[in-house]
Amino acid sequence: MQCNWLLSGPLHWFRFVDKQVRVKAGKDEEHLGWLLTVDPVSASVVLLNFREDAALVHVVVGHSVKNVEVLQEPDPEMTERLRSFFLPLTTPILDPEELRHRRARVRQWLKKNWLPVDEDRDELRVAGVLTITAPYRPEDCCSSNQIILDRIQKLIQVHPETDLDSTEPKVPGISLELDHD
Amino acid sequence: MATPVPVLRLPKGPDPNSRGFDPKSPRFIALCRTSISSSAASESDAEELQKEQHARSVLRERFLRCLLAATNKKVRFHMHENVNVEATFRTSDIDVLNFQVSDLHTPIGVQKEALIRCQDVISFTFDM
Repeated sequence: MQCNWLLSGPLHWFRFVDKQVRVKAGKDEEHLGWLLTVDPVSASVVLLNFREDAALVHVVVGHSVKNVEVLQEPDPEMTERLRSFFLPLTTPILDPEELRHRRARVRQWLKKNWLPVDEDRDELRVAGVLTITAPYRPEDCCSSNQIILDRIQKLIQVHPETDLDSTEPKVPGISLELDHD
Repeated sequence: MATPVPVLRLPKGPDPNSRGFDPKSPRFIALCRTSISSSAASESDAEELQKEQHARSVLRERFLRCLLAATNKKVRFHMHENVNVEATFRTSDIDVLNFQVSDLHTPIGVQKEALIRCQDVISFTFDM
C-alpha cells in the first residue's frame, strides 16, 4: 500500500540502503536499481544503475512509491562503490611543508588585499567570520556570511596557482612577489 | 524546439500567489508539514530515538548530495498522464515540494525558468 511507504520511517527505509531493489511506482511502473538512499522528508527513493561508462540516477518521488522489494544484497565492493558515489572527490594529500607554504601564500595574498587574517593551527581565519582549511582553495572557505564568502572565494580564485609547476600569476599585470626562491 | 519561445501564461487564480505555491494555501499546509514526528516506538525509548535520528541524518545527507549532483545537469521528468519533459535541474526546496529548473522543454515551447511541483512528478532521471 502506498501510504505505508510514506509512513514507514527512517529505520525501515534504512534497511533497503545499498541493496538492489525493485520499486513499483505510479500506475504500473517498475524501476530496478541499487538503492542509494531514501529521503526522510519526502520518502523519495534514489536508485542507481551502472552502464558501460556512465551511471544512471533515478529518483522516484515518495508519493509515487507503491512498493519496494529487495532483489539482491551487495558485495563489499558494490557497497563501497555506492557509499562513495556522491561523496566529493578527496583532496590530494599534500605534505605538511607544502601545506604550510600554501597557507603562507594565501595569507599574504589576503593581507595584500587589506583583509585581517589570523592563523589558527592549520586554519586561516579572515575578519573573524570566515575560515579556510587546508589546502586553502576557494572551496575550502567556510562562513555563515554569504557575501563575504563569495568575495573571498573569488579573491582566492584569482590568486596564482600554488602548483609547484606554475609560478605565473593568473591575472596578468599583477605581480605577487610572495616568494623569492 | 531549440529556440526559446514565449509561453502563453494562463490567467491567474484568485489568490495573489496562485497555483499552489502560496505558503498559506490549504494545499501547501496539507503537503508541507512543519515538522516530522518520530515513530511511536521512539517516543518511549531514547535509544530507539537515537537510532532513528542517526538513520534519518544519514539518509538525508545522501539525498542532499544526490540533489547536489543533479544540479546543472539535464534531467528527464516523468510525470502523470505519460508526460515526459526534459530540463536542466537547478535546485529543490527544503521539503522537496518544488523543483526549480531551467530550459524546460514542453510541447508548446521552451520555458526559460520554471517551477515543477513534486506532486506532479512520478520520477526523474539523470546521467552521471
